[in-house]
Amino acid sequence: MKRENRTTPKVDIRRYTDDQDGCMTFEPTISLDKIDDLPDSSPLVNRYSQISLKRDGEEMLLILPTQSEINSDLPWSETWQELKHLLKTKEQSWQLGTNVCLVAKDRLLDARQLQTIAETLEDVKLSLVTVSTNRRQTAVAAATSGYSVQQNTMSQPLIEPQNDSEETTTATMAEPLYLQSTVRSGVEIRHPGTIVIFGDLNPGGKAIAAGDILVWGRLRGIAHAGAQGNHQCRITALQMEFTQLRIADAVARAPKLRPRRLSPELAFMSTEGIRLAKTSEFAKNYIFSSPQKAWIDKNQAK
Amino acid sequence: MSRIIVVTSGKGGVGKTTTTSNLGAALAKQNRSVALIDADFGLRNLDLLLGLEERVVYTAIDVLAGECRLAQALVKDKRLKGLVLLPAAQNRNKESVNPEQMKKIATALAKGYDYILIDCPAGIELGFRNAISAANEALIVTTPEVAAVRDADRVIGLLEAEGVNKISLIVNRVKPLMVEENKMMSVEDVLELLGVPLIGVVPDDEKVIVATNKGEPLVLGEYESVPAQAYSNIARRLEGEKVPFLDLMANQGNLLSRLRRMFGG
Ligand SMILES: Nc1ncnc2c1ncn2[C@@H]1O[C@H](COP(=O)(O)OP(=O)(O)OP(=O)(O)O)[C@@H](O)[C@H]1O
Ligand SMILES: [Mg+2]
Repeated sequence: MKRENRTTPKVDIRRYTDDQDGCMTFEPTISLDKIDDLPDSSPLVNRYSQISLKRDGEEMLLILPTQSEINSDLPWSETWQELKHLLKTKEQSWQLGTNVCLVAKDRLLDARQLQTIAETLEDVKLSLVTVSTNRRQTAVAAATSGYSVQQNTMSQPLIEPQNDSEETTTATMAEPLYLQSTVRSGVEIRHPGTIVIFGDLNPGGKAIAAGDILVWGRLRGIAHAGAQGNHQCRITALQMEFTQLRIADAVARAPKLRPRRLSPELAFMSTEGIRLAKTSEFAKNYIFSSPQKAWIDKNQAK
Repeated sequence: MSRIIVVTSGKGGVGKTTTTSNLGAALAKQNRSVALIDADFGLRNLDLLLGLEERVVYTAIDVLAGECRLAQALVKDKRLKGLVLLPAAQNRNKESVNPEQMKKIATALAKGYDYILIDCPAGIELGFRNAISAANEALIVTTPEVAAVRDADRVIGLLEAEGVNKISLIVNRVKPLMVEENKMMSVEDVLELLGVPLIGVVPDDEKVIVATNKGEPLVLGEYESVPAQAYSNIARRLEGEKVPFLDLMANQGNLLSRLRRMFGG
């Protein structure tokens, strides 16, 4: 990613984007609202990002959402676009030629779609070897195209009644997701673990993590840490210029005018809501209190 | 090797067609051979801007249907040697062409021209995917407005995902006075957000609209206007020349503000 050194802009972009009431002085505690617009169910299972890629021993698992998890009118091309994007952001996190098992669950895939997936994986030096499915048609298409097939028929009783594979990944936190590039407008990254972005999180871009969020750049979009309810999760960025921050069920909106800080800042849950501190000062000043579900001042705690 | 460049923006009405026509003419004036492809099916107007409307006989659709040869569909610009246009059909919608077909046409044209410039429709749907399918480079056009920049950012992300990594930025319709008064995002603000290299800054200038209405590319004007120079400069930068950016403030503003600039205020 090319990035020029540039002078500090004269104009604060937020001034144009933000029509909320401005306050001239910036209070460290920004606001604490319950989010009403979030469903109770795990926010990480969402129709936007259902494809996941994870390591499983020597091979990688490419997991497609189940038919019921996707919006019924979500076209195949969208799934494919998402796959391409996913691979792009995760590129280089595997060895060349790593074998991939496609976990297609109940998705119906024809030979052409399988071929598209294989070609897309090939572009990033992954090779599709196995297809795991519980649909007969998909199994047939996969076998005819020469992939090894693992067929899990629906009649086979599942150990957990529902949502088998998703549960195990979310219960234990997934390994961190490293994104090597800027997250641009319109892109939403969801991950059941910590997200690290080497680049900016631009306005209109979103990062939603079950764990922490670290932005090695400017955070200008929306970041939601601890998305499954963990109040201990933190968000840090070299430059905090967020549109909105969320930790668990708390929301902090950007104040209209906020002087540009020169040092990296960190957002965390205090007893009064989301607060910001200098990243370098945080660890020595705060300690997490489980009963209070918040970070508290070490000095006052004593 | 010829270069296939898509001119795109996401948001509509920011100046893609204006850029394609004027940049095409500027490149042709610098003795490069240029084919312009109108990929805005159903809403074509590249031919209008170039003043070539009445000479359109066949369109890309006819070529694809095998009703004429590619060479027959190309409209030559009599004023500029080396500039041709492949028009889009106006009576068809975007669904009448697919990305593979666009790619076929562009690669065929690439054999005969130094530059292929593709005028992309607004949006990020099929028309967009058609237009970018053949491109190995992109020029992003944006105006210094939040919504336009946001869409440009989105489009850059999509292009990168498609493997189009050579992306440059044109900031169009800059109003130096408004920037001066902090009423408009500056070029630096836009650049800082998008993080792609800048290749041109075009002022907001009524001469652009006059030229559009006349169907005459700016570089053909009898004297070199500021916007005409801006397009010539973009053409030269495409060719790899290092050309300093125009000081759009130079002929604006009063003595005081110029002094302030001089002293870095
Ligand atoms: N630098 C400029 N100064 C003044 N007017 C401009 C400038 N650039 C473009 N315009 C005007 O803006 C309008 C839209 O331009 P244009 O048709 O090139 O945009 P577009 O991006 O191709 O639009 P669409 O998305 O509809 O295809 C036109 O009327 C044009 O004359
Ligand atoms: Mg246009």
